[in-house]
Amino acid sequence: MSQLDDLKSAIKDRLGELECVIGWEQGYDALHATPLFIRTEADLDRLVIGPLAVHNLATYLTAYKGKKIGVVVKGCDSRSVIELVNENLVNRDDIVVFGLCCDGVVSQPKIRAALPADPGFVESVTIGTDELKITVAGQTVTLKKSDVLADKCRVCQHPNAIIADVLIGTKQNPAGANSLACQEEFEAKSDAEKLAFWQETMSRCIRCYACRNACPMCVCRDYCIATSRDPLWLSQDNSPAENMMFQMVHVSHLAGRCTECGECERACPVDIPLMLLRRYMNKQVKDVFEHQAGTALDQTPPLFTFKVEEERIHERGW
Amino acid sequence: MRIGVFICHCGSNIAGTVDCPSVAATALTYPDVVFSTDTMYACSEPGQDAIIQAVKDKNLDGVVVASCTPRMHEPTFRRAVERAGLNRYMFEMANIREHVSWIGKIKEQNTVKASELVRMAVEKLRRNRPLVAKRFETVKRVLVIGGGVAGIQAALDCADGGQEVVMVEREQSIGGKMAKLDKTFPTVDCSSCVLGPKMVDIAQHPKITLYTCSEVESVGGYVGNFQVTIRKKATYVDWSKCTGCGLCVEKCPSRKHPDPFNENLCNAPSINIPFPQAIPKKAAINAASCIMLQKGKCGACAKVCPVKCIDFEMKDELVTVDVGAVVVATGYDLFDWHKYPQYGEGRYKDVITSLQYERLLSASGPTGGHIKRPSDGKEPKTVVFVQCVGSRDKSVGRPYCSGFCCMYTAKQAILTKDHVPDSQSYVFYMDIRSPGKGYDEFTRRAMEEYGAQYVRGRVSMIYPKGDKLIVRGADTLAGTQVEVPADLVVLAVGAESAKGAVQLGEKLRVAPDQYGFFVESHPKLKPVETNTAGVFLAGACQGPKDIPASVGQGSAAASKVLGLLSKKELESDPAVSRVNPARCVGCGKCILTCPFGAIKAVADRFGNPKAEVIDTVCQGCGICTVTCPQGAIQLEHFTDNQILAEVNALCPPKIFANFE
Repeated sequence: MSQLDDLKSAIKDRLGELECVIGWEQGYDALHATPLFIRTEADLDRLVIGPLAVHNLATYLTAYKGKKIGVVVKGCDSRSVIELVNENLVNRDDIVVFGLCCDGVVSQPKIRAALPADPGFVESVTIGTDELKITVAGQTVTLKKSDVLADKCRVCQHPNAIIADVLIGTKQNPAGANSLACQEEFEAKSDAEKLAFWQETMSRCIRCYACRNACPMCVCRDYCIATSRDPLWLSQDNSPAENMMFQMVHVSHLAGRCTECGECERACPVDIPLMLLRRYMNKQVKDVFEHQAGTALDQTPPLFTFKVEEERIHERGW
Repeated sequence: MRIGVFICHCGSNIAGTVDCPSVAATALTYPDVVFSTDTMYACSEPGQDAIIQAVKDKNLDGVVVASCTPRMHEPTFRRAVERAGLNRYMFEMANIREHVSWIGKIKEQNTVKASELVRMAVEKLRRNRPLVAKRFETVKRVLVIGGGVAGIQAALDCADGGQEVVMVEREQSIGGKMAKLDKTFPTVDCSSCVLGPKMVDIAQHPKITLYTCSEVESVGGYVGNFQVTIRKKATYVDWSKCTGCGLCVEKCPSRKHPDPFNENLCNAPSINIPFPQAIPKKAAINAASCIMLQKGKCGACAKVCPVKCIDFEMKDELVTVDVGAVVVATGYDLFDWHKYPQYGEGRYKDVITSLQYERLLSASGPTGGHIKRPSDGKEPKTVVFVQCVGSRDKSVGRPYCSGFCCMYTAKQAILTKDHVPDSQSYVFYMDIRSPGKGYDEFTRRAMEEYGAQYVRGRVSMIYPKGDKLIVRGADTLAGTQVEVPADLVVLAVGAESAKGAVQLGEKLRVAPDQYGFFVESHPKLKPVETNTAGVFLAGACQGPKDIPASVGQGSAAASKVLGLLSKKELESDPAVSRVNPARCVGCGKCILTCPFGAIKAVADRFGNPKAEVIDTVCQGCGICTVTCPQGAIQLEHFTDNQILAEVNALCPPKIFANFE
């Protein structure tokens, strides 16, 4: 049986006890997947998995708090589930995790860039082991999968779901690389260059908050400081400075919590490289607190503890 | 709202570099400000009366005073506005002295900055609301942590003042460092003769409960209502039966363990009474060296004990007591001098610490009060004292002066001459610090009557030659190098914070300074208070101190405790955190981060988990408010809106500017 069939039968076994199971189905065209909320066995037929199933479905979990639901997760998504459980935002007993062993997902912007023209409506996609055949406007283009792999997958250390009630598929090996060229290039910039870079980049931001809404760890919901009028933390002024302020608040709010699923950057309609900020912050957290969010149950995020003296921050010299 | 603004000149402290009338005129243009004036001394009686009069005449409902630091006079002005009939939280203070006039010289710029700080205070005040303190009763009992001379004094004074006292001491006997001393300066009277009666008073006072071999395990609660858990460590001796006869001590076959009371100069039996005047005079077993507890056979003590009080099965015991106040008197420990390569790092037996020398001088010490050097038991004829070992030395992270070493070194030089009349003492010193009553005369006596040779300079190395130790150092007054062949070298080791003090401070929420000594509330005006209400300091835990100062501070702490507990009820500060249950998702992050345990999980009427602040425990630190992702916890008097109003007053957002 294929991985998909295994998954379908596993979901079928548990569906009766669950409000719903969240997976993926084909979206508006063959290249795009979209979340699927499986409530009946009939819905199961629409389930898809694979490199197009990019969404981190853990984002939906807090909305179902108090109900028993199932969720299909890739390795990276499972970190978000762990973090939500660790932060007491969802109850582990209420969630059935269908874990996948993932060999990477695609980056839509990279595919878009590799196609000869704006794809518009993609007619069909054939997924091979190492390549994707994409038919658009009658023309078929073959792309190497490694060329269009999402950035996070290039440095993925957790391809297999870390927690899973059912683990589907054969285990994959972690990626060999541990840093991205784009990150190194960004961090090598001088402060002035970084400022100029963000001035330019943030001028594109339209403050649609897609980054926030896609983030599994953004749980403030109705009380997000970006849209709060009382207190009025941020104005609606669409200047690079105010946009950057929002992004900086978002990053600091994720300190020690961000699981690097990349949903913010993926959801951004104007392609702002938000993960540059996230990865940098996560590196700091790892250096200072030896903490990587969502890699084990029962971790306590470092900013949710109180210590007079942190082990690795030597404020006083005794 | 009707706000009055008062700009204080503080004599010339502020007015010297700030144009106060101009700041007052500018303040009148701020929203809701209906009255503004400058005043010579706002804190003086006429100054306060003017504020009260203005509140009445101008019908004000909020007051801003721009003057000095709120740490000093915020309570003064809060009382003033209260006397004028306003709620005391309808008052804001702008610090234009420490933050402006004392740090800037350019009058125009200072005036602008002062005006901006006043504007911030006005904007904050516009969002203040009256807060009312809650009242609660206090437990009439005091916990004294540490049974040294400071703790003893504090405990006796509190008990004599009518309060119940619980004293916790880590060691087997109370007495602390003073019990180890032979004589005390500047009177050269016997230390145990002075201290002994006080120790007996502790044991016999009907209002004092003593726990020795015990440590504070945890502290909960708040001023007036602390819950303290004490760990009584297993002594393996039933103290309700033990008569302190000492038969077991004589018969104990295990004598390989160094004796901490004698500063490891000799060995002690595994079951021991540390010294003859010990309080309580009860035996206790050192489990680490006891043959019975380690290997399972022996039991010699149990066989000889006439009252059968040995219990090898004894376990640690936890005792919980409620107290209204805590006196911390945990004292000090000696600096570990082995860090110094020039003193041999412990290679030479005849280089000892000053406290070891006290034990050699003491009649109850290992040598029976005869000075015998550790290596061969010979009586030393030349004794070299080295001062400032671990004091006033940045290279070992101890830049502070330990204060008492100059004096005890002079005392030891005198005693050396008394014990060995044909001896000669040398003292290598940096400066002589003898500012106490009769102190300088005392050091003079050591030099002039007892012939101690004082050499001003540091010791660069100590090396052995035959059965002597050659002490090489500088004589900076003569400008030469000197070498003294010594029989014994005594290091005047400095004081550092007691071991475990920082950890205890965490439990008590008392902050240590960078060297581990506890920080008092104000270095001049609140020397025994801490920033945690109801916790007071006594003795060397706050900084190195000699005996008179420690005793004085012990009494001072006791008088603070008696003052506190003499009130039937206390008021809690209403500037505490408050949970908005509608926003709270019950994730409990605030509970994890609260350093005071002031937040508990409760369920609302639908059974949903919610956080709840215990008003009286909350100290208003605000960590929970920055932790809560939902913004469900706000700190009263420092809400997000109030802080934001201050920020916006200082740097108005562009979008506001566009509207203006």
